Amino acid sequence: MRRRDLLRLGGFGLAAGMTTVLAACSGGSQEATPTAIPTGSLSTPTTGTEGTPAVTPTSAPSPGSSAAVSRTGTVTVYSGRSKSLIGPLLDRIGEELGLDVRVRYGDTAELATAILEEGDRSPADLFFGQDAGALGALAKEGRLMQLPSELLERVPEPYRSPQGVWIGVSGRVRTVVYNTERVRPEEIPASILDFAGNERWRARLGWAPTNGSFQAFVTALRRLRGEDTARAWLEGIKALAPREFPNNSSIVQATIKGEIEAGFVNHYYLMRERAQAGQPLPVENYFYTNGDPGGLVNVAGIGILASSRAPDLAVRLADYLLSEPAQRYFSEQTFEYPLLKGVPAHPDLPPLDQLNPPAIDLSDLDDLRGTLALLQEVGLL
Amino acid sequence: MHSAAVRLAGVWKWYPGHQHPAVHDLWLEVRGGELLAILGPSGCGKTTTLRLIAGLERPDAGSIEIAGVLVAGGARFLPPEERGVGLVFQDYALFPHLTVEENIAFGLHRLGRSERRQRVEELLQLTGLGPFRKRYPHQLSGGQQQRVAIARALAPRPSVLLLDEPFANLDAELRQRMREELRRLLRELGATVVLVTHDRDEALSLADRVAVMLGGTIVQVDTPERVYHEPKTREVARLLGQATFVPARVLGTIGRSDLGPFALEGERAPVEQVELLLRPRDVVLEPHPEGLGVVVDRRFVGAETVYRVLLRCGITVETSQPPSVELAVGERVEVRCNRARLAAFAGSERIGLAALLERVREKTDEAAERDGRRTNAVVPPGAS
Amino acid sequence: MKVQVSGPTLEQPVVVRRPHRTLALDELCAIAIAVIALGPLAYLLWRSWQGSESALAALQHPRTGTLLLRSLGLAATVALTSALLALPLAWVTERVALPGRRAMAILFALPMAVPSYLTAYAVVATLGPRGALAGVAERVLGLERLPEIYGFFGAWLTLTLVTYPYGYLAIRASLRGLDPSFEDAARTLGLTRLATFWYITVPLLRPGLVSGMLLTALYVLSDFGAIAILRYPTLTYSIYNQYRLSFDRAAAAALALLLVGLTSVLVLVERQWRQRAAFFRTAGSSRPASRARPNVWAWLLAGLGVLISGVALGLPAGVALYWWWRARRLGEALPDVSNPFLHSLAVSLAAGIVTVALAFPVARAVIRGTNWLTRLIDLPLWITYSLPGIVLALALVSLSAQLFPLLYQTLPLLIIGYALRFLPEAVGTVRAVLVQQSPRWEEAARTLGLRPWRTWLRVQLPLALPGTLSAMLLVFLTTLKELPVTLLLSPIGFTTLATTIWNATADAYWSHAALPTLLLLGTGVIPMALFSWWEDRTVRRGREA
Repeated sequence: MRRRDLLRLGGFGLAAGMTTVLAACSGGSQEATPTAIPTGSLSTPTTGTEGTPAVTPTSAPSPGSSAAVSRTGTVTVYSGRSKSLIGPLLDRIGEELGLDVRVRYGDTAELATAILEEGDRSPADLFFGQDAGALGALAKEGRLMQLPSELLERVPEPYRSPQGVWIGVSGRVRTVVYNTERVRPEEIPASILDFAGNERWRARLGWAPTNGSFQAFVTALRRLRGEDTARAWLEGIKALAPREFPNNSSIVQATIKGEIEAGFVNHYYLMRERAQAGQPLPVENYFYTNGDPGGLVNVAGIGILASSRAPDLAVRLADYLLSEPAQRYFSEQTFEYPLLKGVPAHPDLPPLDQLNPPAIDLSDLDDLRGTLALLQEVGLL
Repeated sequence: MHSAAVRLAGVWKWYPGHQHPAVHDLWLEVRGGELLAILGPSGCGKTTTLRLIAGLERPDAGSIEIAGVLVAGGARFLPPEERGVGLVFQDYALFPHLTVEENIAFGLHRLGRSERRQRVEELLQLTGLGPFRKRYPHQLSGGQQQRVAIARALAPRPSVLLLDEPFANLDAELRQRMREELRRLLRELGATVVLVTHDRDEALSLADRVAVMLGGTIVQVDTPERVYHEPKTREVARLLGQATFVPARVLGTIGRSDLGPFALEGERAPVEQVELLLRPRDVVLEPHPEGLGVVVDRRFVGAETVYRVLLRCGITVETSQPPSVELAVGERVEVRCNRARLAAFAGSERIGLAALLERVREKTDEAAERDGRRTNAVVPPGAS
Repeated sequence: MKVQVSGPTLEQPVVVRRPHRTLALDELCAIAIAVIALGPLAYLLWRSWQGSESALAALQHPRTGTLLLRSLGLAATVALTSALLALPLAWVTERVALPGRRAMAILFALPMAVPSYLTAYAVVATLGPRGALAGVAERVLGLERLPEIYGFFGAWLTLTLVTYPYGYLAIRASLRGLDPSFEDAARTLGLTRLATFWYITVPLLRPGLVSGMLLTALYVLSDFGAIAILRYPTLTYSIYNQYRLSFDRAAAAALALLLVGLTSVLVLVERQWRQRAAFFRTAGSSRPASRARPNVWAWLLAGLGVLISGVALGLPAGVALYWWWRARRLGEALPDVSNPFLHSLAVSLAAGIVTVALAFPVARAVIRGTNWLTRLIDLPLWITYSLPGIVLALALVSLSAQLFPLLYQTLPLLIIGYALRFLPEAVGTVRAVLVQQSPRWEEAARTLGLRPWRTWLRVQLPLALPGTLSAMLLVFLTTLKELPVTLLLSPIGFTTLATTIWNATADAYWSHAALPTLLLLGTGVIPMALFSWWEDRTVRRGREA
């Protein structure tokens, strides 16, 4: 009878579904991601630090060999940095350290808020934020624990929390990306503030007011030059009818296509586009090296949760992230600035010590509420 | 020997949100093996009664027994699936996703497969649905659907079969045929049946007894003949058919009307005025120059002719006459009763029976031969 | 007690009980579900209370009023136009004898498989200042600029395109189940086909139509992806900013409470509009509804429908294909997608089954609606539906981490989260299906000796099967696309196609997003197509045999 068949079919489908779900659950969290990591950079042993066992270099990593390595502990990471970006790195670290690194990927702010909501029961051990703002928010609520001073000292002072509760892992600098066929480098104003009211740029600029790094920049501008200057700048740019974009990568793409002539972005987007395009592109980054607010350096950083149940393992993870192999990863794979002293940046980038970024306490960048109000006032949000 | 198959005692039912009860103070007994028709106008509560028996509604007071078992009353309430009643809905409610066979077999889930098949065969044969067994309800005609509904309800051998206006959706000719078929079928099965209808012809022709229901309660339960000829109230009278009330004056136990003299039987308080209930076929019209009636209208309806006759007392009687009676409008006629007794009403209640002292007039043999009718003997007064 | 054969006795009944009903099992289930669904609301109240200062500040901010009106305006207009688009499309595929009608019926509903932000990208790519159409317009018509796509117009257009498939499916299902004798009667009384459709059919479709409009309106209230891309800030946008920028949960909660208020008003309005008439088929054979011969308008409508669904579907697919092709050309190694794919499939399937199972008691309670309590029993569900994803996700995080720590970040909780989120979708469809079922069937089955649950299994479920499966499919598709709840509540390492795409596009790794996007679209499109084909075949077989 047809109905019976349908019921059977439904039952079968249900059983199949349930089995799949069970299989998925028990399948574990490790996924085979192709390691885009050049074997060379990770075969050097970690710098010996107190309490950290020396790790023997392994041979060429093979994807999906996670099952063969035994895990001695579990570290849970909440990462606002995407899986495509740092997934391979975290997997690798897990293998190297013999840890089960379980990562929840999401939006930095959402994850930070989730941690706040979870309270002391939060399963997270380590928080890896895309920017310092979220780390600052967690610090303010007292959710981060003090990091070992040895760890803190690996990174220049501007790039870590003055209270020592979070530390930057990689840096990124604000740049002006411009189309080389339309713009000569000399045409770019010496200060980012001089873009405002400059008619040469009418209808030729691109920006992303909804983007977190832009908002961090505006916050820095407010701190550095005051509320009024910031407001004036925003209004001045707005008056030039710039094109609005949802994020940095679309600004870069539009610049490549010549739809706009210049835009305010983070430095590494262009380099990623270059890597994916595989051919020369008529765009360049313009770096502010004179202490101008336009050359703000922001960091992606980590903090260890005070409620963590495996703080020592989290420290080991943090240690690895601040060691040479991991820092090289950031330099070579994600095109960011490694913050560990002694690790060079990508050859195409001006070195960090030559950047001369504006002096600002990155923790202060968590006053996004004020920035939000200002952006709303100007009508950008 | 009657055993009560269904017994309702003092049942009340309110529907939520309604001020007046749908059914109040309902007392009814259905005997085993009989076909009882509940007759009443729409809204009188007859469908509610059926649903109460089936267990689809819960009584607010009173008790219901089926085959001697208390199914509702006090705290006890047996749900419909445990009552063993069969219900045929007005719109049949056949399951559209099942074939005729599957519909009929639906209630046989307790039987084994071969038993089930056998029973389904039985019913298919009984209802003549054999050739349609694999069809779906929407592929059947109205009459066929009704048969399926009945077969389905009968399959699990219910102790009582309930039918809710079973013929309402059929056209006139089909209705007639189906009625006969149903009657035959039910007789054969010896089932106890409660049939709910607003169609009096249906009730009268099918039922062993008719329960008249008005305003939420049973007013009279009797055989069809008695309910027809001896209704308890004027309302019942009107419900059961065309009714004319002919006024009459009474002195002591004797009365007079345009129909002739009569003796008033029955216990009652003394009255001076009564009205006699006349049904269309209760009188015979005869042309007579001094008749007390005048034909004011005639209507040919095929098998008979309907005449309207104005009596001296001012009442117009509507009566059906066989084709042999040919009268013209304006003709004077004599109106004679062909029944021994008529129901007599004072106010709205029947208070007794009027035994007519004169019936159809004696005829000469000549006239009788001409009319081809037999003479009726005059019944002397006093004989019952 | 005396028994009398005829007539009432002199004994009067002793005491007459006032009618009362004990709650049926499914009513209890419905109430339990509603109570659980109140959890997020409780969370919002708690949060606002805890940070009452900033909560009040947010509420009193002058911009809040503007944003509230924008949200309401957008929701109302999209609900209207989405229904106005869905209705003629449904008419064209159900009541007009167009060739290729069946294929079109499948196609028109497919855009449902596309996440709203992809549709937004597609709209911008086609109609934006540098989009495809702009180029054409400039060359062909000499137009320098197209009307501004960003802002209200773009948001309205995108959301209409995103939501019309819901209405289309609901209306189409109702049209199929409608007794054609209503329409036939009207035509014998002299109404033209169009007049019949407008004056007879459409009013009969009201239950489905109105609840579909409510669904759409509340979806628009909760949407973030599309309005962000099309730059039309609404209340939801402000809520996201409060979370992302200010880390101010109290302010966000207060604004979310405003949304809750708005939702409640809309639900109450919908209750008023919805008729309680019975639409089930009465006695008599059911013939398929007659179909009109196609005229110019029908062809135009069909063409429009094909164009819209084609673009909504084809553009994101095209872009994803391009990314994938480009990655292949460069010899890039792409991450494995088999795991996210299986996860997506399994969890969406499970969510579909669970949600629809829970929808039945709620739908029955709503239909029965004997008192004000049961009539409003689905209000908490609508509230959770209209909450922006992030709000619901954080509410569930908070509630489960604090109250049910064992359940936190487990698959069952994730599925419950999906169920809470998408119940109204299922309830709407299930309700429309149940309303078309005659209560007589259940009663007939019970008099034939089946207990209520078996009656349900053997009579109502099979008859409701097409509608039930359609509801399951709906939930399946929306779960497939879901992001915020998944990101925060899924077990660590449990990735879905949606999270994979997000992970890739967040940092511009387009090639990584290509294959998951194609899989997502495929996983949505194929079941839909199969289901439409099966549904059509069942209906046809039942009528022609």
